[in-house]
Amino acid sequence: MTVSTAPDLARETHTHELSAPNVPWVLIVWNDPVNLMSYVSYVFQTYFAYSETKAAELMMQVHKSGRSAVAHGGKEKMEADAVAMHGYGLWATVQKDDMNTGS
Amino acid sequence: MAKAFKYGRKGITGQLEQAERDLLRNLFSDIIDMLEPESAAHTDPLAALIGLDMDVRVPTDPALKRLLPDVVNAEDAESTAMALEFRQLTERSLRENKIGALRAAALNLDSDKMVLNDEQAKFWAMALNDVRLVLGERLSIRGEADADRIHQLQDWSQADDVDSYLALVYNFVSWLQEGLVQAMLLGLKDRG
Repeated sequence: MTVSTAPDLARETHTHELSAPNVPWVLIVWNDPVNLMSYVSYVFQTYFAYSETKAAELMMQVHKSGRSAVAHGGKEKMEADAVAMHGYGLWATVQKDDMNTGS
Repeated sequence: MAKAFKYGRKGITGQLEQAERDLLRNLFSDIIDMLEPESAAHTDPLAALIGLDMDVRVPTDPALKRLLPDVVNAEDAESTAMALEFRQLTERSLRENKIGALRAAALNLDSDKMVLNDEQAKFWAMALNDVRLVLGERLSIRGEADADRIHQLQDWSQADDVDSYLALVYNFVSWLQEGLVQAMLLGLKDRG
């Protein structure tokens, strides 16, 4: 019995860590040579309701640094935002914000 | 070339010539064909309801993959499995949303003078963007230098092979999208 409980416990701990609501996730938008800078700005302003200034800053960061962390939050929210970005044709991925840096 | 899209009192208006409308109708229809799911909607009603599709695989066509990217950077076995699992849950509805925007934009092409509300303008911007992503992939635009090289081609008398023709089409659609988005940004500013 003890032999079988040990792996179960390990798995449970692992699952708990991954689904913990307080683990921050981040939405990364990647640069690509096709998307127009004006369009990326428009998407940031309308989808995230960011100001013109903030949208322009994030867009420039994508353009110059190749990527930008444009939103932070729970895993499910970041995944939903990524799908919305894909709908607009922006190249976006989610990842755990383990650095806790962001933009 | 005159501006195709303008922002004014009526909102966003667009004016395109017959040949331009025919070209766009064909482009929209090509992208819709690419995006139509290969298998019919799932027969399991619950799976169909939530859009779950266990048959979904990562697209092998790089242009289609650019339209339907992975949600995580698939760099090892764990992230590849997570990306595929997420794709099985979401890809069908993403395809349907994109097809919806392309169809909506195609409908506006029936009249030579378009008046677009905010939602229609958004569908147009999305549709033009998807066309550009596919053309960009076919033209192997991988970096800024490629984009600049393609941008040099502006004269239709230079269209002497498939690639130069595609490049000119790409530049036309880019010019159209830029004008549309500028008009949309003016509209946003106007409403503060």
